[in-house]
Amino acid sequence: MALLELNNISMLQGDFELQVPQLTLQRGQLYVLRGENGSGKSTLLRLLALLQQPQRGEICFAGEPIAWRAERLQALRQKITLLDQNPFLFAGSVEKNLAFGLKLRGIHGDRLRQKIDQALAVVGLSGFQKRRAKELSGGESRRVALARALCLQPKLLLLDEPTANLDIGQVGVLEKFLVSLPQQGMTVVIASHDSGQAERIGGEVVQMARGKLIDAPAVTPELKVV
Amino acid sequence: MTVWTSLYTSSTAIVIAGFLGVPVGLWLGLSQFRGRQLLITLLNTLMALPTVVVGLLLFGLFSRQGPLGPLGLLFTPWAMICGQVVLATPIVANLVLTAVSGADNRIINTALTLGASRFQAAHQLLREIRFGVMAAVIAGFGRVIAEVGVAMMLGGNIRNSTRTMTTAIALETSKGEFAFGLALGIVLLTVALLVNLGLNVLQQR
Repeated sequence: MALLELNNISMLQGDFELQVPQLTLQRGQLYVLRGENGSGKSTLLRLLALLQQPQRGEICFAGEPIAWRAERLQALRQKITLLDQNPFLFAGSVEKNLAFGLKLRGIHGDRLRQKIDQALAVVGLSGFQKRRAKELSGGESRRVALARALCLQPKLLLLDEPTANLDIGQVGVLEKFLVSLPQQGMTVVIASHDSGQAERIGGEVVQMARGKLIDAPAVTPELKVV
Repeated sequence: MTVWTSLYTSSTAIVIAGFLGVPVGLWLGLSQFRGRQLLITLLNTLMALPTVVVGLLLFGLFSRQGPLGPLGLLFTPWAMICGQVVLATPIVANLVLTAVSGADNRIINTALTLGASRFQAAHQLLREIRFGVMAAVIAGFGRVIAEVGVAMMLGGNIRNSTRTMTTAIALETSKGEFAFGLALGIVLLTVALLVNLGLNVLQQR
């Protein structure tokens, strides 16, 4: 079933134009977004995260065209989480960072703590709850940001170069974990300029070049019918 | 009593100016619209408003024949508070705007992608730049506690009612009581120092 569909998208950002003729992301599927630096991968991820409205074209979420109205957008964004290439951690503790999105979803108390503990364990940072976010190393910050995205259990998880600046050992563990997410029904898009990574983790390839989506998995008619 | 009047009017004025100025600075810093630059220029101009001009304009509004005359505010602490709000709000708004402009541009998008509404994201941004917001409030407070024009013209320097430390200094000096004026000046400086120390402690937390 299609989770997100993009049709005839054109989005201008200064001199840069992002063009997506057609892209369909299926539920519970892993996608690898490939392309050189500056090819528009991050811009496409921001568009998929509904952080920017395209000038032209249509985006459908679960078959429904998106109306760019504030109250509707927030509900949709709570189902999509983007992990930036250079993630920002809020001031305060690691726990506070993870609690931010959970509290917005009405999760408090023991359940909140449990989710935070689980997410930190997944990224290998158990016991980091009280550490100050701004005092973490680059690699630790990225992993906290990943845990912050994972604990929200979004329907669509968008990851921009998630393994950049991580140790080789951590990369392997993380890739294995990311590959397991679609089996739980999550749609995952990983932007990567590392062709080796794309081969290791498999998944459908979405190829970008000079701002244009040039190759995406074909959508069979059976799959398009919701 | 003069110390209390100074503190009471300036503190009330800065609280009101904070409630007005912080949202204006935040809004100007986050939105893009036609005329935004013009508004910012206007705000910069208002920052340099001479206190006597504010006093004069509000005197016209509050005087018996003025549009707000029936409220009977002239020569009361509330008239002084109104004048000080006019003085402090542009400073607070402008410094908050500067803090927003200098903030990391990933804050809003991070909050949005974690599921916040635009309002919640702006609130999170405010938390991230709280030092800048506090500095804006401190600067606004410094402006109003040290001013004399508004306090003199709208308060009237009435003993035990609207006499502040600055108007008392002006009065004592004009009476030839230079030493007493100087002593009051030292008290004013000490009060300003204590308030700023208090705000700094808050900022460190």
